[in-house]
Amino acid sequence: MKKILILLIVLFTLQCGKDLSPFGGEPNVSALPKRLKPEWPSPDWKIVKPESVGVTSAKLKLVEEYAFTRTGDETDRKGRRTDAVVILRNGKLIYEKYARNFTEDKVHLTWSVSKSVLQTMYGIAVKQGLIKLDDPGYYHYEPLSRDEAHKKITIRHLLNMSSGLAAEEGYESGPLKSSVIAMLYTRGRKDMGSFCASLPLRAEPGTQVYYSSCDTNILSAILKKVYGAEEYDKLPFEKIFKPLGITNVTFERDGSGTYVGSSYLYMTARDLAKIGYLYLNDGVWNGERLLPEGWVTFTRTPAPGYKTTPYSDDLSQDNYTAHWYANTGIPNRGIHEPWPDAPNDTFAAIGHWGQMLYVIPSLDLVVVRFGDDREKAFIKNDFLKLIKESVIR
Amino acid sequence: MKRKISVILALLFLFLLFWAQWNWKHLSSFPSIISSFYSKEYCSCYFVVELSEDQCHDFARQWVPISEFKLDKENKSVTVKGLGRSNTAQFQSKEYGCTLLND
Repeated sequence: MKKILILLIVLFTLQCGKDLSPFGGEPNVSALPKRLKPEWPSPDWKIVKPESVGVTSAKLKLVEEYAFTRTGDETDRKGRRTDAVVILRNGKLIYEKYARNFTEDKVHLTWSVSKSVLQTMYGIAVKQGLIKLDDPGYYHYEPLSRDEAHKKITIRHLLNMSSGLAAEEGYESGPLKSSVIAMLYTRGRKDMGSFCASLPLRAEPGTQVYYSSCDTNILSAILKKVYGAEEYDKLPFEKIFKPLGITNVTFERDGSGTYVGSSYLYMTARDLAKIGYLYLNDGVWNGERLLPEGWVTFTRTPAPGYKTTPYSDDLSQDNYTAHWYANTGIPNRGIHEPWPDAPNDTFAAIGHWGQMLYVIPSLDLVVVRFGDDREKAFIKNDFLKLIKESVIR
Repeated sequence: MKRKISVILALLFLFLLFWAQWNWKHLSSFPSIISSFYSKEYCSCYFVVELSEDQCHDFARQWVPISEFKLDKENKSVTVKGLGRSNTAQFQSKEYGCTLLND
């Protein structure tokens, strides 16, 4: 009996040191390349021929063909339904096209891309010293103090989609129990933050990643407390949109006047590209640092909670950094890059029904695509592969 | 045989009753989804994005059809009735777009 016990202990210790994951190791988050000559859009992007910045027009035609060829029936809302594509290289606009009555002046619903812009608001709050990433949420927001378990939820957990709150992020597939639908349209719509904070916990905060619009709207409600309603109302307009020269923008609020950070930001494709360009430039805009040092690295680093999140095939679809997505994969969880044919350093803001903002530092590219895809007919990897192949130098 | 069927039916009914009781908070708010979704998304599509009425209907329609629709251009609001519930969304301003009015 004793021998068996010793054998088991030895086996267990051996197992601890062994890498059991399919790939092993940490995700690779490379440093942003130094950009020598940023071309700031003041007031708008400079338009140039693709060839002048090392991109071939003939190959861009293939991108256009992929994005704008309708593959389904309009009445059934099927197939690829692109509304806009804007591509920038070296800070210059090299491609732009609109469809389905959208134009360069029309704002578009960005759905969950809003989450990534709410994350920009946090970068600003952190830089101002008003909030720290490891602050427990309840320090700033009373509804999170309902019990000891909820008190453990920090700002970082929320940004990493790791609050542990038992939300149900189902849309059309399971509308009855979907907490995101209840939050936006029924029981939660008056005050989304407090609706979300009242959910029970399904996991210890920080230990499991679960993509949840609730985490974002709690973050939005926290900001309102931190700034006070009056300053909060002006926050995105004064601190983000104005410095970037964005004037044509709408950010909708819930019944209590809190920004619906999870879903309801409306922007033009050209303006959303400016958000991407801010992140491409490490949070600096026109020589001024808007986001704190290291914020973009935080943005590109997979959520630590992935290390203990039970494996499932859906994991690679998740919002797995800090309210953005990255193409690193999670090697120590056996998760491939979500877009294997795009450069490994690609990171993105992604929204429901085909809204996308890609930043590709190694190629100095920013790409915006808007659409209204009601089924999964637009393959992000195929689109990004064609864009990558259009770059000749 | 007849008795067996009625016992099964009674059990099934009881099960349904328990299920409905258990899920009551979800079930009771569910019918409102149709009109609140339609009114909110139509309002934003029309007043914020400024697409045409036809395109906004196409954007906001769901599998369950609605029974009444009213676009009030003067007050910049949209009222929709579906599954017996009525909801209104109203345009606030260019900055803040549309919001569902509280019940």
